[in-house]
Amino acid sequence: MNQFTFESKQKTVLLSFMGLGLLCLLLTFFTDSQPMHMRFWTNLLHNTVFFTGIAFIILFFLAANITAWAGWYTLFKRVWESMASFMIPGLALFLVIIAGMWLGWHELYHWMDADTVANDPVLAGKSSFLNKNWYTFGTLIIVGVWIFFAWKLRQLSLEEDKMGGPQFSQHHRMRIWAAAFLPLAGFSSAALIWQWVMSVDAHWYSTLFAWYSAASWFVAAGAFTILLLIWLKSKGYYSEVTKEHLHDVGKYVFAFSVFWTYLWFSQYMLIWYANNGEETVYFQTRHQQYPVLFYGNLILNFVMPFLILMRNDTKRKNGTLIFASLIVFFGHWIDYFLMIKPGALHTAHELAAAHGAEAAHGAEHAAEAVHHASNFAAGFTIPGLLEIGTMLGFAALFIYVVLNKLTQAPLVPANDPYLGESEHHQVWYEFGEDEEVAHH
Amino acid sequence: MSTVVSPIREPLIEGGKTYHDITEDIAAPTERTPSVAWVLAFMVAVSGLALYVFCLGWTIWNGIGTWNLNRTIGWGWDITNFVWWIGIGHAGTLISAILLLFRQKWRTGVNRAAEAMTIFAVMCAGQFPLIHMGRIWLAFFIFPYPNTRGPLWVNFNSPLLWDVFAISTYFTVSLLFWYTGLVPDLATLRDRSKGLRRKLYDFFSFGWTGSAKHWQRWESLSLVLAGLATPLVLSVHTIVSFDFATSVIPGWHTTIFPPYFVAGAIFSGFAMVQTLMVLTRKVLNLQEYITLSHIESMNKVILVTGSIVGVAYLTELFIAWYSGYIYEQFAFYNRVFGPYYWAYIGMMSCNVLSPQIFWFKKIRRSIFWTFVMSIFVNIGMWFERFVIIATTLARDYLPSSWSYYSPTWVEIGLFVGTLGLFFTLYLIFVRVAPVIAIAEVKAILKSAGDQFTGAKAQQHEGAQQQAH
Repeated sequence: MNQFTFESKQKTVLLSFMGLGLLCLLLTFFTDSQPMHMRFWTNLLHNTVFFTGIAFIILFFLAANITAWAGWYTLFKRVWESMASFMIPGLALFLVIIAGMWLGWHELYHWMDADTVANDPVLAGKSSFLNKNWYTFGTLIIVGVWIFFAWKLRQLSLEEDKMGGPQFSQHHRMRIWAAAFLPLAGFSSAALIWQWVMSVDAHWYSTLFAWYSAASWFVAAGAFTILLLIWLKSKGYYSEVTKEHLHDVGKYVFAFSVFWTYLWFSQYMLIWYANNGEETVYFQTRHQQYPVLFYGNLILNFVMPFLILMRNDTKRKNGTLIFASLIVFFGHWIDYFLMIKPGALHTAHELAAAHGAEAAHGAEHAAEAVHHASNFAAGFTIPGLLEIGTMLGFAALFIYVVLNKLTQAPLVPANDPYLGESEHHQVWYEFGEDEEVAHH
Repeated sequence: MSTVVSPIREPLIEGGKTYHDITEDIAAPTERTPSVAWVLAFMVAVSGLALYVFCLGWTIWNGIGTWNLNRTIGWGWDITNFVWWIGIGHAGTLISAILLLFRQKWRTGVNRAAEAMTIFAVMCAGQFPLIHMGRIWLAFFIFPYPNTRGPLWVNFNSPLLWDVFAISTYFTVSLLFWYTGLVPDLATLRDRSKGLRRKLYDFFSFGWTGSAKHWQRWESLSLVLAGLATPLVLSVHTIVSFDFATSVIPGWHTTIFPPYFVAGAIFSGFAMVQTLMVLTRKVLNLQEYITLSHIESMNKVILVTGSIVGVAYLTELFIAWYSGYIYEQFAFYNRVFGPYYWAYIGMMSCNVLSPQIFWFKKIRRSIFWTFVMSIFVNIGMWFERFVIIATTLARDYLPSSWSYYSPTWVEIGLFVGTLGLFFTLYLIFVRVAPVIAIAEVKAILKSAGDQFTGAKAQQHEGAQQQAH
């Protein structure tokens, strides 16, 4: 079975989940108590950033593997090529946010409000970067370039299947494209992360932020890879992909969970230590008003994968791999939730205060709005059912796109120079292991 | 690790070596009279060491008033040199630990020398925090122990103290790692030697017999040490970066410092490995073990880490503007256009711009350019630390205390002297121990020898390409 068939039953299930997601989004839109439908728009932004980021980071990882002459992943590289293709719907989703920005449907970012910027020297100072033009064209051009590279690598990979020969000319060309993509992606992803996510807290800044969020994407992408591979194997596909391969993806998830924690700690500790008000406000808010998520983030994304995946054997068993992958996938979704929601809620309160003042209700109303900041806010303090439903909808969309892409090419590529290495990949020799290891 | 090797991989051992050839070639430098080149190099290195001892004595006798530090610029060449050497000490453990975990076969050609270099570099680095204390006879104050000084304890909140723990741990684990790897090879030397040499190698190889049990334990220990050393590679330079980043000094306090320091450390470490390897392979005639492929791979690491450092420089610069924080903005304005602009230019051109020539395969595989670039990077990374330390301190919040700093002959002598210390140790090392891991090179022969893989390979079962 080298050709994936997307069964109609699977499509139905995924489409119903997408329907659920859409329904949740609509419900959020109409029941939203925040000004400018902030809950709805943050949910859209949160999931768009999260899933587009996963598609981007897996392309980055694929390019890094090609550049580093890695041979272990070749068998299932189509999975990563397919995941990267989600950048196209991802860009379409960003277009909705961008359209909303120009048409005044939302105030996701505080810097979008011209009156605020005019009266705020810090935001005014940033306005040559934090503005609608930069956001729009930055997103369009940069994601466009990423999509181009994803397409290029995919084309060469498909061409190799059909026309590859002993010269491996397609592979040599892929190396050039992959290597060129790495620095480009390194610089451009930071610019977009600052725009998309960091500028939600428009006053706040941290030089580490872009690497931190990219690490978050990467762990989620690794976890998704594990889940998808195990599922495909359970359907009878990818019989050549063994626990040896899963072990290595598991190692990446483990290692980058630790790396993510390292970055989390570096960012948090340095800001805590220096105790500079402009910076500490970010963690102060999260620590005080979002304690469940603040600590939960560390438990889900560090403690759990660290303890579960530390041993060799847990990276070789489906049960533990699935468990750990589900946890960190959800955990990093929570991480993005925590990056976006508090800042957006603050913006919403500021807007309410400003509008309240305009409506001549005066300072009392504004004070009340600010006071509300410390109280529970549905869809902000913790993810509600609507958020979970929306996430499931987006996940279904993501899976749909990936599976649909998988149908378009043979699952195992042909003529890749590293195919033999990947087929005979072995990371661990276990004495008395019950199943026969991948030796033919 | 797979037994099948991709047809496009280049061999890592050239010359159709047998197991016996490997032993002969690598053991030879320790068994013959030193060459003229070695003797000359050793004389230069020991002279450097002598200079170090003299300047050290001068500093201790006369006090650090003989340095040009002043009230505004309290850290100058001393801490710059410390960070520079610590950074260099990163490549060895990265190569031995992280590349081991990644099953990179090319590590076997260079890991031994890189690990030795790590240990010597950390020894050089360790000198500077001690001597910059001024009263070196009180250096034991850095150890936290129940003492007779009443409630006077070390400051556990200070990253400077964390440095003590981080660096001593790193040194210990690196030493263990290096020595564990050496044990089988020292036994090989033992088996080939006679008399006193045999007695010494016998002692230092811990009675290694090469039994299956020995190898099994040796393999497990290597993996455990690799697992321990990997977080250490990150932790050491992370904590060095905390020395600066926990402060509230604009230009020092920035969250990207930890990972960016680590990337910079690997960058400078690989540059120093290249400097040493290019010379060592030539002088000891080891070109068939440290091949152009090895050099190319290391140049790629230099290109990657140099570019990561470049991303970090630009991120810092951008966020300084973005922050809207005028002191931060001034610190970076000053870095680029201030009195030390030349150091910033040196840093940018050596670390970010010039490594970009490694995009060209021809240059990656050129010995000449590799050597030139390795020196460039060494210089550039020294400048980076100088930029961070001296430039930042030179312009503080009070314009009346602004200052400029240039080193005295003592400070220059100390720096040049540690180079002497470093090369003295390295030159002794290449005489007494195999500079390449004999056992580990043998382990990859069947999958990476040029008679088994690559263009010249004969048809051999192990080197057959894809299964279908």
